[in-house]
This record gives sequence, structure tokens and C-alpha cells, in this order.
Amino acid sequence: MHSMNRKKPSAGKGVSYAKWGYLFILPFFIAYICFTLIPQLMTFYNSLFENYRDGLTQVGPNFVGLKNYVKLFSPDNSGTIGMLKYFGNTIVLWLLGAVPQILVALLLAVFFTSYRLNLKGQQFFKTVIYMPNLIMAAAFSMLFFTLFSPVGPVNQVLLSAGWIDKSIDFLALKVPVRLLISLMNFLMWFGNTTILLMAGIQGIDQSMFEAAEIDGASSLQVFFRVTLPLLAPILVYTIITAMIGGLQMFDVPQILTNAKGTPDRTSMTMVMYLNNYLQTSKNYGMAGAVSVVLFIVSAGLSLFVYNSLSRQYSQAPRRRNRL
Amino acid sequence: MNNKENTRGRIQLIVARTVAYAILIFLSILCLFSFYMLIINSTRSNAQLQAGFTLMPNNNFFVNLKNAWTDASINIPRGMLNSFLIAACTSVLTTYFSALTAYGIHVYRFKLRKFAFYFILAVMMIPPQVSAVGFIQLMYKLKLTNNYLPLILPSIAAPVVFFYMKQYLESVLPMEMVEAARMDGANEFYTFNRIVLPIMKPALAVQMIFSFVSSWNNYFIPALLLDKAEMKTVPIMIAQLRSADYSKFDMGKVYMFILLAILPVLIVYIILSKSIIKGVTAGSVKG
Amino acid sequence: MKKLIALLLALVMVFALCACGATAPAEKPAEGTPAEGTPAEGTPAEGTPAEGTPAENTPAEAESGEGKVFNIYAWNEEFKGFFEKYYTVPEGVTVNWVITPSDNGAYQQKLDEALLNQANAADDDKVDMFLAEADYILKYVNADATQDITKLGVTDFSNTYAYTVQAASDPDGVVKGVSFQCCPSALIYRRSIAEDVLGTSDPAEVQALLDSWDKFNAVAADAKEKGYYMTASFAETYRVFSNNCTSPWVDADSNLQFDPQIEAWIAQTEDFVNNGYTLTAGVWDQEKNDQMFADGKTMCFFGPAWYFNFCMGNAQDPDKGCSGDWAICEGPAAHFWGGTWLLAPAGTDNPTMLADIMNTFINNEEVCSKLVSDEKQFSNNQKVNAKFAEDPNYGSAFLGGQNDVAVFSAMTDNIVWENHTIYDQLLNEGLQTYLQEYFKGTVDKETALKNFYNYVNETYPAIVTP
Repeated sequence: MHSMNRKKPSAGKGVSYAKWGYLFILPFFIAYICFTLIPQLMTFYNSLFENYRDGLTQVGPNFVGLKNYVKLFSPDNSGTIGMLKYFGNTIVLWLLGAVPQILVALLLAVFFTSYRLNLKGQQFFKTVIYMPNLIMAAAFSMLFFTLFSPVGPVNQVLLSAGWIDKSIDFLALKVPVRLLISLMNFLMWFGNTTILLMAGIQGIDQSMFEAAEIDGASSLQVFFRVTLPLLAPILVYTIITAMIGGLQMFDVPQILTNAKGTPDRTSMTMVMYLNNYLQTSKNYGMAGAVSVVLFIVSAGLSLFVYNSLSRQYSQAPRRRNRL
Repeated sequence: MNNKENTRGRIQLIVARTVAYAILIFLSILCLFSFYMLIINSTRSNAQLQAGFTLMPNNNFFVNLKNAWTDASINIPRGMLNSFLIAACTSVLTTYFSALTAYGIHVYRFKLRKFAFYFILAVMMIPPQVSAVGFIQLMYKLKLTNNYLPLILPSIAAPVVFFYMKQYLESVLPMEMVEAARMDGANEFYTFNRIVLPIMKPALAVQMIFSFVSSWNNYFIPALLLDKAEMKTVPIMIAQLRSADYSKFDMGKVYMFILLAILPVLIVYIILSKSIIKGVTAGSVKG
Repeated sequence: MKKLIALLLALVMVFALCACGATAPAEKPAEGTPAEGTPAEGTPAEGTPAEGTPAENTPAEAESGEGKVFNIYAWNEEFKGFFEKYYTVPEGVTVNWVITPSDNGAYQQKLDEALLNQANAADDDKVDMFLAEADYILKYVNADATQDITKLGVTDFSNTYAYTVQAASDPDGVVKGVSFQCCPSALIYRRSIAEDVLGTSDPAEVQALLDSWDKFNAVAADAKEKGYYMTASFAETYRVFSNNCTSPWVDADSNLQFDPQIEAWIAQTEDFVNNGYTLTAGVWDQEKNDQMFADGKTMCFFGPAWYFNFCMGNAQDPDKGCSGDWAICEGPAAHFWGGTWLLAPAGTDNPTMLADIMNTFINNEEVCSKLVSDEKQFSNNQKVNAKFAEDPNYGSAFLGGQNDVAVFSAMTDNIVWENHTIYDQLLNEGLQTYLQEYFKGTVDKETALKNFYNYVNETYPAIVTP
């Protein structure tokens, strides 16, 4: 939060500009309150009620206090706490996809913006790596489903190459399913992240790189001493949104596993779990409780990442516009 | 000595380039493969698709194209136009107002500033599934079905886009510029529209692309709000083809439509990505 | 960039206006519909058969007192096609189709909101008829959102199949809708494989050899010996068992219970999987579809007319398929699969027209005949079907000339609709998905059932699981 602590641009004038601040953020808040806040507050409020539909019959809302939360964290008859299991799944799926996603994107962003490398065909590569993001998740999952089915092309290739002698049911095995979901998320989002980071690097004053070059800094030095610190705010953004996106992971595993999180619910994410409550019975009580937990977890993690990363980089050599 | 270093430098550069190209080509193949599959599938009839996947195209491309294009119940050009209008409006509103909000919070010092920032950061964490059902019910009550406004207006408040703009401003906006504009007697709106927005061009373009794409591919909320045939968007039409009854069910047509649906977004992407690359070099001041 | 933004903002304005404008005709949807809804095209040539339904001869004046807009909710256009061909919409009424795809549960979500809002909706926005499938029909039939059609003038069920009426009846026997088709499901077998395994491919003889589960299971072992699979999906026989349950999924106290039929299916599938009599693929999987090719090794499939006519594409493939090498018989137990019902929502402002439509599709013999001869449907009119069953020239080339209508007509009397609940669709689906993991060997049975119970708890809070 270093920017918050920065001194006002000029003490005297700062005060008279405050009204502009309110004016500028007004449209956002009006739209937010009208379209999103009301349903969201209802959700939080609903988590304290028994409130669902049994067929077309509405049950509740009856106030039940924290009963929904207690239910959420009580173990089933084999001792597993569903919520924790799905939280674990989500984190694993996210890490498998997001870590490579950010690292690869960072690497590519550097490639593309590197003055020294001066790569040819950039426009082509930039277009191609973003293309998977253009396919609807549903269509993308459909393609992967055919690709890896027991009689799909992957098995055909492996069989004809003699590497396996019986086709593998990839979608029934925990590790392959998780890897596939991560691979799909990676493919869908690494281009997106690359573009974000590239835009960030493009925003950095070119003279900083030139100066470093003149000082005889190596590429690695330039990257760690100039690019990374100056890119920090965007990188923080990338990490936090990747984290939120990861915690809210839904469409790819939902479609690939036909909403069941197979095998053994090891690819069931938290939002899929939430969706189970919502989809058929409109169980606002339990869905509300899951959302609140998800919200607390995401907010905690994000604030932690935001504060620690922002602080770390505010100690690095500051950029040109430091006031 | 100098020569040697030069040679070593050149070798390093060649190695670096080779590695870079190798990585890029590998990733490109991965990315293109799904497109290849999509194209292959769009050349096959429903029966051929049912028979299993192959890497070789069949000869049904134009039949599928014709079937998809002339389907009596789905009007592809109309759907694309609808989707385009919604996505264009959404992406403009979302980027403009997010930048405005981000600028407001970044530059001005006011009492609720910190609160506003953390508030937006916090609501970003609430999964969208949570408010979707409530939102639909609200729109039903307000009789806003078969209307594009509920699909467009909420995009004014996009926490994620705001957050990006805020972070971007933090890394590129020199306060001197704002100060200088004020010295010249510029009105605050003028400063934002004429001086700050051009600096943010890459960020605007990036978020415009992203919001365009996500609006273009949005299915669930539009499916529940739009039921007039002439107002439906592309994803609803695709879903409709997918839930067609057994006698009309034709996956070849579905794949063809998915392929067609990608083209407009691809064009928008290519146009907008130019302004990311051009970047700010022209507009920025050196500190 | 600036210009682009300005341009797009201008677009926003124009567009917002258009959007507002576009909502205006919603009150008067006449504009949009001619292309889709009016009966003008096509019908006169085919001789408008809707006039003078047997139940009630509704004079045009009565209809003029009704709503001007008839809203039909559906998830696809199957019925819309039949409706436009075979039903003449009364003068002055516009039919408005509200078609929402079933993907992601969007159809039921949309329909539920509309039905729950029915009392407050303007007359022209009220749901006047909606479509539902067997899998979830009770959710609507058992609710107050639907009404008694006998009070609207649909009273003659003498020719419809009993189970289609039972399916649309609430627990007190009040009928709330009709089906325009009947979907008895048969055992579809490969003649050549049956010849090899059973020594005969004659439908009557094959039926005699497979008319009970004991015989069916025994033959599975013989088939295996000869190198064949009995079925190609672990869930192939599920419907055959579940349609004949003797108790509902939940008891009076909302406890989940397994019917002996379901237990029998689990036992049979365990046996089939362990002995290699079946594949572990799902009913719609590629792996199963591959078995329909000429070089497939599977003897038995189960399905209604729509299944072998439209979904066995691999079997009909001109190069790799084996059209004509198939035949059908009733199999171990009578059952049905699929079918679309037309339901009458409470509060419709077009009750006469609604009744008229229903009568047309179950009692108008001309229309029902067309459904069989032109649309490959098995109609919901016994008299009409009997006509085709007795026609010696009627037969299916795919089934080697066998008269499928005759087989289906004979077996429909044995189909029962009993012991269903509003939860059936997702309980059946969930049980199959989670047990599939057990059959594939990924998890043990206990875990599979535990996952199923968790799924039930999440999906239906009202059900108590063990």
C-alpha cells in the first residue's frame, strides 16, 4: 500500500480536488450497488437461513443461525470434510496451472519486449498464444474430452506406437484429470497473462532500459533490477487475479468431468461444490455459506499477497515518477 | 579483447534467440492444435464425428457451413451482430469507467479513498455464481428481460478491470503530468480524457480485448434473460444447437458455428493488439 | 484510439436506444413471429386437420375471448416443427415460442421463474403451455403450477397409452398434460451375433431366449465365450431395471432407499464388469458407439425408435456400418426411454386453445398418422399405431424389414409408470456417474456410494441419506 502513504502531490491544492475523486468513482459505485451488491448482500444474509426449493415448492427462509456453516464443516460418515477436500482440490488445480502460467507469461513478455532479441513474427506468436482464450470453455473441454477418451486419438497414437498395450482411461484417473484441467487452464490463460504483462512492460519508460544497457548490465540483471521492480504493480495484479480466478475455478472441470468432479470427487472445486447447491434446489442457505467461506479465504490470501508483495517492491529502487 | 566479447555476445544472442523461438513454436503448436481439431471437426458430418476423431479433414465443410448459415431457427449473422453490439458496448464502458475510477482513487486524496479501494478489492473475491441467481430474479422483477441493458450496464462496475487500471497507473503515471496540466489550467475531466487516457492506451486495449471476449462468450445470464429469437446471442444459439432434438442434432453444424464465432473476436483482437504494441512511447514524458 | 472510443461510445448510445426500442414490441410480439409461428405456410396444402377435435368442437367465438398471445416454453424445436405443420392456430392468436437451451439447466431455471411468477405476469406474458421430459415431469405435475386438463376439455384418453397418462398425473390421479409421442424401448440386437451366440436371429425366438434377466445373464456368459460383449455400456440396462422399480427413490419420511430393481442392476453390472461381459463406457460414449460398427463385438443395445433411427449413426454408416443386421424384441422387461409431454400451466389465459392442441396431438387420427408415416414417431394413439402394425408392407430397412411399430405396439401394455418421484432424474444420473467409478475400479463400492450420498445431500436438501 505504498502509494497510499505517498505524500499529496501538493498540500495546498489536494483538498480542493477531493470532490473530483468522489465524482470519478461515483458511476462505478452506482452501477455496482444497482446490479451486484444487492444480490451479493442477499447471499451473505441468506447463509443464515434455511432456504431452498423442493421441486417447485419453496422451503423457508427460516432463520437457522450458523447451522449451515456447522453443516459445511461437519465430516460425512467416512470422516471427510467436503469443504476442506474441495478447497484442497482447488488449490492443487490452481497451483498446477497458475505457476507455469505466470512464469511462462513473464518469460514470453520479456521475449516480446526485448530490444536485444528483436524476435521476428511477433504478431503471429502474440495472436496464436491468445487464441485458446477465444474458444468457449465448453467447446475447449469438449475437444479435450474427445482427445483423451479411451478410444480417442491420444490412445490410438500410444497404442500404435506400442507404448501401451491397453488403452488408458485418462478421465477416470486422478492425476491425468488434474493435469488435463491444469493444462487447459494454462493454455486458456497464459496468453492472456502474457499480454497483461507485456502491456505493463511497454508502459515502462524505455530510457530505463537504455540506461541499464549503457551501464553494461546483462539481460538477467536488466530483468531483475529494472523490469521486475517496475513491473511489480502489474505482477501483483496478475498474481492476485490468477489466485482469485483459481479459487473460483469452475467451467473447465465442470464440463470436463460432467459436473461430477470425477474421479472420487478429486477434481471438484469449491465453486463446483457451490454450484451443486445452487443449480437444482436453489439452496441459498448452503450456497451462501460456501460463498462466505470462499470470500473470506480469497480476501485473506489476496490481502496477504498484496501487502507483502507491494511492501517488498516499494523497498526496491524506485521508479522515475517517485514523488 | 573487444572482438572476443562481441563474438561471445553474438553467440549468446543466437542461443537466446533459438531458445526463445523454440519455446514460442512449441507453445504455438499446443495452442494451434485445438484450433486444428476445431477446423477438422467442422469439416465432418455428424455421422463422421460420431465415428471418432481423426486428424484428416473430411469433405463436409461447405455442407456444414451451409447448414449452419441457413438454419431456420438460428440466424447466425443476427446473433453475431447482437453479440458484437453487446460486447462492444460492454468493453467500452468497462474500460472507460474502470480507468476513471482507478484514476479517481489513484490521484485524489479524499476521506473514503482507502475504504473505496479496499471495498472494490474485497468484492472482487466474491464468486460471480453467487450473485447470478439473485441478479436474474432482480431483472425479472424489474421486467428487464429481452433487453440488452442488464447485460451492458453492470459492466460499468468491473472490480477486476479497475484493479488492473489502478496498478497500471501506479506503474506508469507520473504525477508531474497531472500537475503540469493543472498549471495550464486544465479541467480535471479534460486532464483525464486528453492526457491520462492516451498514456493508458495499452492498458485500455488489453482490458477491452478481455472484456470483449468474455462478453462474447457469456452464456448463462443472457440465456436466461433473452428469449426472443431476434435478440439471442451467439453462445445461446450454440447451446440451442447442442440441445437440438435427435433428428436435428448435428455436431458438424455445432463445430462450424463455434469456428465462425471465433472469427469476429479474432479480428477485434488483432486490431486492438496493435495499440498494445505501439505502447506509450509516443505519449509519455521522461522523468 | 480516441476516435475508436468515441465511435464505440456513440455506438453505445445508439444501441441503448435500440435496446429500449427492442423491448417495446415485447408487448405486441406479432412483428417478430410471422416467420416462426404462423400456420399460414405449409399447412393448407396438407389439409388442415386440426378442425373438429373429437373431444369438443370449439367454436371460433369462444377463442376470441381468450388471450391474443399463446406462449409455449420449450428447450428445443422438435415439437415446434410438428406444431407448425399439424396445428392450425386460431385466427387472431399469435404463438410465441420461448425456447431456452437445456445446457446448464437453463431451461428449467427459466421455466421455474416464469411459472412462479405466473400470477403476476401480464396476460400476454403468461405461460400457456410448456414441454417437459419424463425425467423431470413430476416436478411440475406434482406442483400447483400445473392444472387439471380434464376440466379444460381433454377427457378422452381411450386411445393413449396408459403410462403416458400416469406420468402426467399427480398423486391424486389428476391429469395435467399429455404426451404427443410414446417411447417404448426395445432390446436392439445384432442379427449376425445372435445367430452365432443363440443359433437364431428370429425376433420371436430371440425374445424367448432373453425374456428374463436370468436368461439374459446366462446368455452373456455364452456371448463372452464366443468373443462378444453382451452390452457396450455399464449403464445399458439401467433404465430397464429402474422403470420397473417397486418402490420410489425416497420413502414417506424422505429417506433415500434403494429399490430391489436398482440393487439388481448393481449386482448384474458388477457381474458383467468382472467377467468382461460389458464395457465400462457411458451410454453416450464414443467407446460404446464404436461397437455399433460392422466390426463391433456387442450383441445388445436398448432403445426406442428414435434411438436406432437417429442415434445409431455408426451402425448406419454406409461403409463401416451394418444397417439391416439389426432386429428388436421386448427383452427381459418392458420399459420406455424419453418422450416429451405437453403440460398445462395454471393461470393460462388460453385454456381452450391449450385443450385443442392437446386433443389434436393425441386424438386426431390424421395428425397421429402423419406423425408415424412422415416423422418416424411412435404416436400416442393406439388405434393409429395398430393400423401401421398390421400393415404387411410397413417395415424398417435398418431392422432388416422388421415392423417396429408392431413390436412396440405389443410391448406398450407392459410398460408401467409407478413409484416415481420429483427427484428421479438427478438421482438416476448421479448414481450411474458415481458407480461408474466403482465399476471402472477407480474407487471401492463404499466410497462410490458415499460420493453419491454427498451428491444427493448437495442436490436435494430434503432427502435424508443413510
